[in-house]
Amino acid sequence: MSRTLTKAEIVDTIYEQVDRSRGEVKNLVESLLSIMKSAVKRDHALLVSGFGKFEAYPKKARKGRNPQTSETITLDPRKVVVFRLSKKFRNEINPQ
Amino acid sequence: MNKSELIRTLAEKNNIPMDYATIVVNTFFQSIKDAMIQGDRVEIRGFGSFKVKDYQGYKGRNPKTGQSVNVQPKRLPFFRPGKELKDHLNEDI
Repeated sequence: MSRTLTKAEIVDTIYEQVDRSRGEVKNLVESLLSIMKSAVKRDHALLVSGFGKFEAYPKKARKGRNPQTSETITLDPRKVVVFRLSKKFRNEINPQ
Repeated sequence: MNKSELIRTLAEKNNIPMDYATIVVNTFFQSIKDAMIQGDRVEIRGFGSFKVKDYQGYKGRNPKTGQSVNVQPKRLPFFRPGKELKDHLNEDI
């Protein structure tokens, strides 16, 4: 069973490297996430070198079906996010 | 937006020095990378989660030449956007 890294642990790791309070570091991480969200929305892409790229792209409206009632419904157009990993990260996660 | 703009925006918004913002941003992404390299899952509430999938090697074919090639086993991370990110993107459309 693999473990899960959480936001709180990331905050702790940053906190150990800086001479600041944990509360402040936590707020900075929240601020970072909100900047990232806005960037994906505004620029449709967020590029993190050595890590990867978050891309937003639009999906058209389509007809769907409720599998339980087999009722036909229209799914609204929406935006989705995909992550593409960088070459560097790909090589790091697949050591040869 | 790229990483240096991310660092600058974080520093400006929170009135903190650039080198501090640099540590926050770099450590944030490095922690996620380290976890995934170990094969761990990562969950960032409000943004999304990552998991690593293992793919077995297989015999493939180059579709252009028809030549058979061995595809090595590989690991690829998958990102699933969180509800807040999806909602944020789809606000006012």
